[in-house]
Amino acid sequence: MNFTSDSWIALLPILVTSVTVVATMLAIAIRRNHKWNATICVAGLNLALLSCLLALNVAPQQVTGLLVIDKFALFYDVIVLGAALATATLSFNYMEGYAGEKEELYVLLALTALGGLVLVSATNFVTFFIGMEITAVSMYGMIGYPHRDRRALEASIKYMILSAIAGAFILFGMALIYAQTGTLSFNQLADGLVSGTFAASGLLVTGGALIIVGVGFEVSLVPFHLWAPDVYEGAPAPIGGYLATASKAAMFAVLLRYFVESRAYESALLLDILSVMAVLSIVVGNVLALLQQNLKRMLAYSAIAHFGYALVAFVATGAFAVEAVGFYLASYVVTTLGAFGVIAIISTPIKASDADTLYDYRGQFWRRPYLAAILTAMLMSLAGAPMTALFIGKLYVFAASIDQRLWILVGAVTFGSAAGLFYYSRAAIVMFQRRRWVEPFKAPRNWTFQAGGMAVITLTFLMLLMGLYPQPVMELIKAAGLHAPQAGNLALNVLAH
Amino acid sequence: MDWSHAPAVWLILLPFVASGLAAIWPRRWHPGYVMTGTGALGLAVLGWWAPGLLDGEVVRWQHAWMPALGLDFSLYIDGLAALFALLVFGIGILVAIYARYYMPAHYPLKRFYTLMLAFMGAMLGIVMAGNVIQLVFFWELTSLVSFLLIGYWHQGESARDAARTALIVTGGGGLCLLGGALLLGHIVGSYDLGAILASGDTIRNSPLYEVTLVLILLGALSKSAQFPFHFWLPQAMSAPTPVSAYLHSATMVKAGVFLLLRFWPVLAGTDAWFWGVGTAGLVSLLLGAWIATFQQDLKAILAYSTISHLGLIMMMVGFGSTLGVVAALFHVINHATFKASLFMAAGAIDHEAGTRDLRRLGGLRRLMPITATLALISGAAMAGVPLLNGFLSKEMFFAVTLGSDYGTWVDTGVVLFAVLAAGLSVAYSLRLLVGTFFGPVSLDSPRSPGEPPRWMRVPIALLSLLCLLVGILPARVVGPVLHAAAAAVLGAELPVYSLQLWHGFTWPLVMSIAAFASGCVFYVVTRSYLAEREATAWIAPVSARRVFEWVMVMLTETLPRWQQAVFPARHLQVQLRVLFGMAAGVAALVLVQFAWQVPAPGRIDVGLAVLWLVGSGCAIGAARQAKFHRMTALMLSGGAGLAVAITFVWLSAPDLAATQLLVESVTTVLLLLGLRWLPKRIPGLVRSSPRTRRRRLGDFLIASVAGGGMGMLAYLAMLHPLPDAVSRFFIENALPGGGGRNVVNVILVDFRSFDTLGEITVLAIVALSIYGVLRRFRPANESLGTPHLRLQAKGGDPAMRPAHPGATLPGFMAVPARLVLLVSPFALLFAVHLLVRGHNLPGGGFVAGLAVTLVLIVLCMARGVRWVEARVRVAPLRWIAFGWLLALATGTGAMLLGRPFLTSWHGSGTLPVLGTWHFASALFFDLGVFAVVVGVATLILIALAHQSVRAPIGVVRHDDTEPT
Repeated sequence: MNFTSDSWIALLPILVTSVTVVATMLAIAIRRNHKWNATICVAGLNLALLSCLLALNVAPQQVTGLLVIDKFALFYDVIVLGAALATATLSFNYMEGYAGEKEELYVLLALTALGGLVLVSATNFVTFFIGMEITAVSMYGMIGYPHRDRRALEASIKYMILSAIAGAFILFGMALIYAQTGTLSFNQLADGLVSGTFAASGLLVTGGALIIVGVGFEVSLVPFHLWAPDVYEGAPAPIGGYLATASKAAMFAVLLRYFVESRAYESALLLDILSVMAVLSIVVGNVLALLQQNLKRMLAYSAIAHFGYALVAFVATGAFAVEAVGFYLASYVVTTLGAFGVIAIISTPIKASDADTLYDYRGQFWRRPYLAAILTAMLMSLAGAPMTALFIGKLYVFAASIDQRLWILVGAVTFGSAAGLFYYSRAAIVMFQRRRWVEPFKAPRNWTFQAGGMAVITLTFLMLLMGLYPQPVMELIKAAGLHAPQAGNLALNVLAH
Repeated sequence: MDWSHAPAVWLILLPFVASGLAAIWPRRWHPGYVMTGTGALGLAVLGWWAPGLLDGEVVRWQHAWMPALGLDFSLYIDGLAALFALLVFGIGILVAIYARYYMPAHYPLKRFYTLMLAFMGAMLGIVMAGNVIQLVFFWELTSLVSFLLIGYWHQGESARDAARTALIVTGGGGLCLLGGALLLGHIVGSYDLGAILASGDTIRNSPLYEVTLVLILLGALSKSAQFPFHFWLPQAMSAPTPVSAYLHSATMVKAGVFLLLRFWPVLAGTDAWFWGVGTAGLVSLLLGAWIATFQQDLKAILAYSTISHLGLIMMMVGFGSTLGVVAALFHVINHATFKASLFMAAGAIDHEAGTRDLRRLGGLRRLMPITATLALISGAAMAGVPLLNGFLSKEMFFAVTLGSDYGTWVDTGVVLFAVLAAGLSVAYSLRLLVGTFFGPVSLDSPRSPGEPPRWMRVPIALLSLLCLLVGILPARVVGPVLHAAAAAVLGAELPVYSLQLWHGFTWPLVMSIAAFASGCVFYVVTRSYLAEREATAWIAPVSARRVFEWVMVMLTETLPRWQQAVFPARHLQVQLRVLFGMAAGVAALVLVQFAWQVPAPGRIDVGLAVLWLVGSGCAIGAARQAKFHRMTALMLSGGAGLAVAITFVWLSAPDLAATQLLVESVTTVLLLLGLRWLPKRIPGLVRSSPRTRRRRLGDFLIASVAGGGMGMLAYLAMLHPLPDAVSRFFIENALPGGGGRNVVNVILVDFRSFDTLGEITVLAIVALSIYGVLRRFRPANESLGTPHLRLQAKGGDPAMRPAHPGATLPGFMAVPARLVLLVSPFALLFAVHLLVRGHNLPGGGFVAGLAVTLVLIVLCMARGVRWVEARVRVAPLRWIAFGWLLALATGTGAMLLGRPFLTSWHGSGTLPVLGTWHFASALFFDLGVFAVVVGVATLILIALAHQSVRAPIGVVRHDDTEPT
């Protein structure tokens, strides 16, 4: 396989991120200084983000049989890198108070971003697995980074054990599929499935099922969700945000790609399985979120529910899933990152535990009105209130599932949204209660001028923009679409009656 | 983009811009001016459009919003929208003026006006929406702003609860409405309002009509606080009075009515419509009036009366008759005027007297005569006294009920209930007015009341005046507006109606008189009874609010708790069980589905079977012993490894066997060295409960099933012929392409040499990490006792004491040590042999490296680490670096010669003395691998072994161990 200069350009985001990992590591080795090490990492991630633009010019590029850099992959590259950047900036002030060595966090962060980039470009089971493991392994380290904190350590170990087992399931599933088909390439597999070369045999179905189990775990869909709340609760706030957004979105992007390209949406069995998982995720996620007195746990359950909604869009839109799911994921990522960002800012600098119980948020409005307003806006977006990004996202979900007359799914989404109103509004209203006498958590007064604060403000603007004038983002996602078997858009589908 | 109606977009933007403006309004000017100005501007625009609108024109404007979804941002202003916009702006101005004096100056006024203006914009958005999705968007926005207005205002607990209840009910209704709107779009094929309004028959004949209707009704009823969602409105009264007057009487609660009127042309006229809307309206009408009669709080009376009046409007809409629509529209206007006025009056009383409790008020007509007069006028309008607007719309209502055409019983019932409700409304109006303004002056009120500021009275006065004007000259004052609105809803089929005070002596008048009389009698009879009453008679035990709260508790506490008890999220085991359970389930399903035949194995080799039984036994034993007897477990796992190695020999793969054997030995020794630092575990300390034992049994079953399943799957997969085995390529090309007969080695150093390079890199990194981690490691003191042998030596013979820490006892393992010493040179020679012949015969760099390592390990065991370190000059770091660089150089060498990276060269020939030679450049690569393996193993070995030399944390060195 020969590399042309175009392949190198297409690989730039991945290469630049890899270089960032090494550069940050070397920078730490040369001189351990939080600010300068973090700056190197952030600069590298920014360069990687810029290099996406260069790569756009040459996309789509198939680089060996393992990676494809097309517009779809680049769109998710931007999401992953953006989330990593936001996490890095948020971590900076947050980690200032950490007693141990704080610099390696950035190495790990750049590494997970690298895993995400590999994941979204994967066209082969091998790259898929490698991307997943790069993400997961560096995630273990990041979750347990404050290793003197019991909760963080517990979260890290739980995540490690379960993630490793899920990885094993996926690996075994791959092996079975390979045993049947003799190929690891997604495209060949898809072609074979579409053309009927690979008949649905026991091995193939079992392999597929094992992979679904593993992937279901990675994006924490019910019934593979039990790890999520503990891990979110234990992980440091900025890292929790990354875990909830970028790493899941990247995984979902892979699913999306092969769902559409292999025309898996034509398989009734698969759709049934996904529907069941979606309904369960929505119901269980929302119902358990009602019970939480801990904001991070609540966000964990709500993340479970939100991926249930995304799955509904997945099932309902079939060939047009890229658009609906893409918009949903983008708005979810922006919103959730923002919410975790506020938690991180309020918990800054790192202490024995983050500000995560609802009680910690009492009266935050009277102390830092703008910060509280941002968190309120993010929560309202998660609840699907108008003017926010997820309103439009949910509109997609509703429209698509009603259009397909998937009444059970519609019912589940409605129930979930109504329950969401309940607990999001509770979390929002706590901030307007009377202030506590003792306030262990106060955001720094100058939070707007700190890197993390700016990231959160940017996210807020983005979120509102996507809620009020979503067209640019929609255009972007549509441009980033895959070459689906039939071209078209959701609107046509809705209107064609 | 059609700019001919551009002001429409400015009109909708105006309140939002003003809202932003209010937020940054300079401190020295009152933000109330912004809202007043906005209202005035809005009215001006409406006035400018008035001629066209009154003629039935529709102002439209649209702009691409989300073309991807087929959605435009479009505005659709017809007579109906204009009527509601008029209310929004008109009442908005008055409320702004009122609030200017009502709200204490120290309150965060800017936020208040910002939210009020945002609400104004959202409400306008609803009425002017040109597509249904946009309507829902603004609909939810009003819920949200109302939530903020109720909740963020007071720091009181009740206000927050109220705010949340309102948000959940109206927001949930909004979700249903969204579903309804999407269904409408689905049926019609467009979300555009114009298109939807034009396809009434399509919708009514659609199989989805009922579902759509129910969803839209849920939205409308919850927003308009209709039965069974009526309970949120009285709670929401904890908002400040201007909010109550604006949102909860004049505008927001009318959104439900607006919605039904908006979709009247396409949804109404069916039985479902009549029963759905009509019943909800009737029940709310009666229920609201009944509960209102029993209230003691002024605002509560007004709130329940609002529910009742909205029920009346709903009922008229529900009849499906055209006259009903006109009457409903008329009552919308009338109710907005008199109820807003009454709310403001109640606020003024609260403001002056400090209480709204009827039992603590009385005789206010003497203290605040002007307010009293104004309130009397609007209160009389609410009761339906002639000469006031309430009378006219009530007459119309009676006329509508008389026109009912749904069977005898229904018709009679409707008429009776209408009179009953009207009587009750007279009764509670009387209670409100008489209790507050008449009778002796109350001495119980917290403050001494007086007239409120003049500008607080002006809005009340204007509204009361309007009540009078409409009541006397209806056709002049509201005739055209009403006509335009009705025409917008009904189109060409406008009914005959006349707006005038006196229609002659008709049945509605009789009903009015009956209602009035019965109301007065009811009031007089029950007056003293009601004054003491706390709870509503008959229905108090079943309040909808309690039902709602019960449902909420069930949903938000009981159900989740149950769920959490079943799937406790904190335990890892549950998740693992689920994971494996699912996998097993899937496998079983597939087995059944595809009716898999597990082919019976052919000839069973008895020896191999026995070997595997032993191996499996070792593995199971290792798992069993792992908790308390780690050493045993380790040895057993070594046994399992050995079984694998023998299997390789059995299946004629000697090189694999050698590798396995060496790997097994090295890892076992390294693990043994590490084992020492793990804390001791003593069996039997904790007695396992029956529950634990049950759990273990369960785990055992799961493990057996999962393991068996996996094994079987693997077996089946291996029976499956591989479509295109890659191994054939390697076997065929090893000699011609790589110049070696040992295929494994050729794969390692030639075909897949890039992978091998990567692997040795990883190996080196791992070793460095271990070294880095262990470099400063000191075991915790409690993790080790004094070693057994040293303990023996302590009291005994001084000669038996170790000379220095880490040293073995003198004479310990003397014979094995000699033997090892004697054997090791040959072992090393053998390692070199393995390395050199590796390309063609079993062997290779990796195996050779392991062999050398094994020699070192055995030496360490026999003579101690120090001894080995002192004599064997292996500098691990240098070996690693040398090996890695050599491997890299081999690869780059090929590049220098113009070949791709890591291409190997091989050749053969004959030499005079030595005979045929055969050489492959891969040997250098292999040498690199060898060096890295040796270096890595030595490094790990030394790093681990050195632990025993260091003192544990926090321990003063004993005198028998001299410092090093």
